[in-house]
Amino acid sequence: MAMIEVKNLVKTYKISEKEHGMIGYVKHLFHPKYKELTAVNDISFSIQEGELVGYIGENGAGKSTTIKMLTGLLTPTSGEVIVNRIVPNEKRLENNRQIGAVFGQKTQLWWDLPVIESFALIKKLYDIPTREYEANLKKFTEILDLEELLEKQVKSLSLGQKMRCEIAATFLHNPKVVYLDEPTIGLDILVKEKIRKFIKDINQEKKTTVILTTHDLKDIEEVCDRIILIDKGKMIYDGPKEAFKNQYGKHIVAEFVIQNKMKNITLETSDEDFEVIEESEKNVKVKFNHDKLTIMDIVKSISNYCEILDMHIQEEGLEEILKEIYRGDVIYDT
Amino acid sequence: MVRNLKLYGAFLIASLKKMMLYRIDCLVGMFSQVAFQVIELVFIWIVFQNTETIAGWNFEQLLLLYGVMMLSVSVTELLFDATYDIGRKLIRKGKFDTTLLRPVHPLVSILGDSESYTALGYIVISLILIVAMLIRLHIAVTFLLVMKIVYFGILGGFIIGGIQTIFSVAGLWSYKSNEIVWSVFQLHKLAQYPIGIYNRFIKLLISGILPFAFASYYPTLDYLGQQQNYLILLTPCIALLIWMIAIKIWNWALKKYRSTGN
Repeated sequence: MAMIEVKNLVKTYKISEKEHGMIGYVKHLFHPKYKELTAVNDISFSIQEGELVGYIGENGAGKSTTIKMLTGLLTPTSGEVIVNRIVPNEKRLENNRQIGAVFGQKTQLWWDLPVIESFALIKKLYDIPTREYEANLKKFTEILDLEELLEKQVKSLSLGQKMRCEIAATFLHNPKVVYLDEPTIGLDILVKEKIRKFIKDINQEKKTTVILTTHDLKDIEEVCDRIILIDKGKMIYDGPKEAFKNQYGKHIVAEFVIQNKMKNITLETSDEDFEVIEESEKNVKVKFNHDKLTIMDIVKSISNYCEILDMHIQEEGLEEILKEIYRGDVIYDT
Repeated sequence: MVRNLKLYGAFLIASLKKMMLYRIDCLVGMFSQVAFQVIELVFIWIVFQNTETIAGWNFEQLLLLYGVMMLSVSVTELLFDATYDIGRKLIRKGKFDTTLLRPVHPLVSILGDSESYTALGYIVISLILIVAMLIRLHIAVTFLLVMKIVYFGILGGFIIGGIQTIFSVAGLWSYKSNEIVWSVFQLHKLAQYPIGIYNRFIKLLISGILPFAFASYYPTLDYLGQQQNYLILLTPCIALLIWMIAIKIWNWALKKYRSTGN
């Protein structure tokens, strides 16, 4: 039995349609018009215990709506969600016990109290046995470096400090599933790294299932094994991260250091199957599809116009691949 | 239920701790309340410069009634002040989702966040007023009477708090819900005076529909020993009934809220 089972999930919202200007607003007040918007359109997937899944898509693609339905915050229009044998929006309290969630900047800590008091309240809230609580607190304090923060008021913490405490609070009760919605937004690299390491460590040790939505694809590269990509409410990819790169990441960028340039390479090669993305007297950057051309083809072609001194080859990262998908440069099979 | 009450207690204590961190706000809150109450009392005193009794109640009796209501109101503020915060604080700032993800009924979290900087000062003033008036009325302040005052004070707080909780549900759809709760709360002032002065409609309103009179008028009748009234035996049932309605309405509203989203 999978940890999370999602079948044909659909959510449509009614959104109000207002005309512009004061008159439009007044009209809306007396005679509101609505149109339907399908935020999540027939999504199905199943996630096993202990998986680290990156749930990605553009702003407004339906990520948050999906997460809200998985957590039971939102009732699906149709379709089915089962988390560890529980239907979240029917047995909310029971489901809340087994999950943890971080929603961007919204804190679950008590703003005016010292961090440790919030932790103590969470202990009560989830009935965490004292031994388990102490052990987790000790371990989390170590990995996330919380020692000096515990006695401070939450409101006096910096963004990064707050998020470290937030993450610790989320895992204190050993949840089976954790939803992290933009957990690294606005954080510096060191804090991001600490948080990524923490998620991986806890996942290894406790087999916690983690669903992560983020715009920082470094998070996904480093933490997740699997990617689910949605676009305009529809799922367009679900599978291992590496396979995703192989499937869509067909481009390679080759950077050449050159001298004695004779002609404008961009113009000369405009008929060819590759694309010059940068050109100067000393450098040329070329992007090409690896299925159609080899590095040697490019080298031969470029050397017609200049002398090549050095070369550097780079495969596309997730970020470039996603950019292409969002722009519509890559056609995906649905 | 026991678990809910325990957690509610834990959250309230957290709020109290927080209040103590803001000593100045606490003091300002208390003194502003004192000033506010003095003005209201002066007003009653002026009325009595022109008349001996109102509906058969003299000045001291009326102040006793006033004090009893003040006690109930202060208990409400202490325990359920967060009913004002739902629209503007929780929903608007997006904190409500966090509340819904806790393994406890959302009302426990919401109400547990109550923080009234005025309630404690208010309780002290009302107790002083009640005891002073009892003495002036030559009513013996026995242990039993004190227990009754505490008992009805708490029940009164629950009755008013329950009424506020029912109307606070508007906060799920309106950022201005605090004004709805405030308007309903203001009706308690009707029950600050003997209900004999009102017509049938208002009598029915404050003892039946929104039973504020059980937080002031009926207990006061009992303290005064004027007549045997069995109506006050109903007080705990009324408090319970109001809370059952409040929870039912909230559960219905939460379900609605989750299907539309925000």
